[in-house]
Amino acid sequence: MPKGYLCLVLHGHLPFVRHPEHEDFLEEDWLYEAITETYVPLITVFEGLVADGIDFRITMTLSPTLISMLSDSLLQERYLKHINKLIELSQKEMERTRWQESFRRLAEMYFSRFSHARDIFQKYNCNLVNAFKKFQDLGKLEIITCGATHGFFPLMDVCRDSVRAQVKVAANHYESVFGRRPRGIWLPECGFCPGHDEILREAGIRYFFTDSHGLLHGTPRPKYGVFAPVYCKGTGVAAFGRDLESSKQVWSSIEGYPGDYNYREFYRDIGFDLEFDYIKPYIHPDGVRINTGIKYYRITGSGNHKEPYVAEWARDRAADHAGNFMFNRQKQASYLNDLMGKPPIIVSPYDAELFGHWWYEGPMWLDFLFRKVACDQNEIRMITPSEYLAENPRNQVITPSLSSWGYKGYSEMWLQGPNDWIYRHLHAASERMSELVRSFPGAEGLLRRALNQALRELLLAQSSDWAFILGTGTHTSYAVRRTKDHLLRFNRIYEDIKSNNINENWLSDIEYKDNLFPNIDYQVHQ
Amino acid sequence: MKILNKVKEKIKKIMRAKPVSLKTKKNKPASAERTPSSNRDIPGFQETIAVNTKFSHPEDMRARSVMPQELPSCYEQDKIILQVRDPRWLHTYWELRNQTIEGLKNKLGDDFYRAKKILRVYDVTNIVFNGFNANSFFDIQYNDFANSWYIDTAGPGRSWCVDLGLMLTDGRFITILRSNVVSTPLDSPSWITDEEWMIPEDIFARLYGMGFGLGKSSPVGRGWQQRLKQGLFSSGISSSPVRKEVKERSFWMKVDCELIVYGATEPDAKVTVQGQPINLRPDGTFTLRYYLPDSKQVIPVKATSADKLEERTITPIVTRETR
Repeated sequence: MPKGYLCLVLHGHLPFVRHPEHEDFLEEDWLYEAITETYVPLITVFEGLVADGIDFRITMTLSPTLISMLSDSLLQERYLKHINKLIELSQKEMERTRWQESFRRLAEMYFSRFSHARDIFQKYNCNLVNAFKKFQDLGKLEIITCGATHGFFPLMDVCRDSVRAQVKVAANHYESVFGRRPRGIWLPECGFCPGHDEILREAGIRYFFTDSHGLLHGTPRPKYGVFAPVYCKGTGVAAFGRDLESSKQVWSSIEGYPGDYNYREFYRDIGFDLEFDYIKPYIHPDGVRINTGIKYYRITGSGNHKEPYVAEWARDRAADHAGNFMFNRQKQASYLNDLMGKPPIIVSPYDAELFGHWWYEGPMWLDFLFRKVACDQNEIRMITPSEYLAENPRNQVITPSLSSWGYKGYSEMWLQGPNDWIYRHLHAASERMSELVRSFPGAEGLLRRALNQALRELLLAQSSDWAFILGTGTHTSYAVRRTKDHLLRFNRIYEDIKSNNINENWLSDIEYKDNLFPNIDYQVHQ
Repeated sequence: MKILNKVKEKIKKIMRAKPVSLKTKKNKPASAERTPSSNRDIPGFQETIAVNTKFSHPEDMRARSVMPQELPSCYEQDKIILQVRDPRWLHTYWELRNQTIEGLKNKLGDDFYRAKKILRVYDVTNIVFNGFNANSFFDIQYNDFANSWYIDTAGPGRSWCVDLGLMLTDGRFITILRSNVVSTPLDSPSWITDEEWMIPEDIFARLYGMGFGLGKSSPVGRGWQQRLKQGLFSSGISSSPVRKEVKERSFWMKVDCELIVYGATEPDAKVTVQGQPINLRPDGTFTLRYYLPDSKQVIPVKATSADKLEERTITPIVTRETR
């Protein structure tokens, strides 16, 4: 029996950004960058582990919007175009840096990475969801769902019909993609509000996660703190609490691994550094400089002076850091085991994009960690929440506390001066949606299409990403536009339905633009 | 059970201490304005005016075209909604129909204009609120243009309800709208323990501190505050959780050099530059672009005809020196 369990959770999510009406759309790059820098590298790590017969466990959210984008043929086509341009740019770079050995080697590294990304992408039929499904079917990866569009549930509590729609649309979508019901959910922004566990139970979801204070400030006191899951009172849905010590090591701006001076510097990109005419074909068509993904420097130090990146040094650091992480978990597990009299579960959730996109060496670190845990020790065992619950069915019953993993731990990030105006509109739309469901049960034909699209538009408006961007106060125009556009589309459908005057051409146009969740049923919003 | 009772005693002490800590706030500007009538009879509570006052700017109501560009400023309903922001703060927004306001004006006459616009915040913890049985309440006076407000309750782990109303000059309070009930979360561990799963206080304290990543000996009472200081929060899609760039000075300059080598030959010729073969454009021209470090570069460009019978070599020599 191990001293303790380690449950790594990566939360993979991007808001739905797809603009067929524009040839080139800046925000679509979020997806392309995540594919090249995070999802392909993670898949590569998993492939390597399986090939080498290394047993591993990891839990990952694939949010319904992310799955929808990864499976969308237009975005797949555009990704290929995007990666081909990057390959072309890296080839030019290999030539341009011929007289500068340290840079030329890096240009070659990018050329091989980008080519590899294209190979992996094509290997899985241009749909990376197929890759993740493969590892789930192999029993290594547990894929969990999320809110349909990542709506922040605590601020939807006054319209629980919408929370229910977020959960049910997500669970049904998951089933259509993976051929089974989701066992777990990552509540968007880790936002839990007591009572929402009932909605999870209705959808057949067995567990979710909270930030540490969600469990620690629950009632009654959780006997094992965050180191054992609890069952929610009245529903029996399990809640796993986030361990902050392991989070801190990876995530902290001061002590975290990603700040090591040998790691790659995120903020120096040739999209900003190189001469304009040369880089122009690879940045935004309007000439706005953007990140290309080719970055030549290491963090070097705290100042602005940067030295070229040395891949071998970074690799060595990633191996050291993986060893350090494992050592600390062994110590933590052993200490907790003495205290608790049973093996603790240490739950370490991270944004998936931290690995690869922000922390370039993150996937490599994970690879080292999986291998070390499997081969070098037997004190900690990696586990998924489902496995843990199957082996440890007896847990304490409490009511976890309202909480999130956002700034200051509650709802402030999504409810402050720059974004609080959205709620009167979102809540009004939720009420109207419920009214439509009551007024038109079992609709058919054009009316059904309109009702389904109304729910799509409402869900899209609810994405916490828009409120988040508004809350940061910079580059907000896109988030404002998206919030308003979806609400305006919703309001128009509502009024058209009420006045029995649905314009089919217009409806077809927005069905074509906001095309996610093809099998949505508006009646889940009740 | 001894431990349990001890904890309960401790909590009781803290609860008793609360009014004192609230009163110390009087000196702070945030809670400067008071409505005497509201807290006269309720020891332990005083109204606070939200620091973070925010009222939305109503957007223009535009004529509805085929597809309006702006959201409506109101939805023609009488409604007040209350939401929890964190253990201490609530947010409320409301909307009143014109006819509701006109009705009040007709009913109250001049009193309507003299009345203060009030948000009455009721503590309805552990009760079924009927409008008269609140544990306590406090009032906030809001201005004419507000349609939302942040409310400082200073009361974690309690339930709240808000009335939007009018305080008449004779001291009568008229409720116009009543909100939903919400509950603020605790900001420290619950004092309720479960007999079957009870745990000694010192062990819980250690587990509690470790859950927040604070090591083994962090005092329970300060756990949450320390957690806040660490700032370990998710930062979403648009900012890095890792590290922000340090700007040393605001003024700066960068200069660098690249070299363009270009030329032309027969389209079917083979060309090498520094011994490396290069591709020609269909018309036989070529352009090469190099980063030029401080150095002397000897760049032999050699063209060989397709039949390999003729050869030309031209060798630019370039030196870069940066001072």
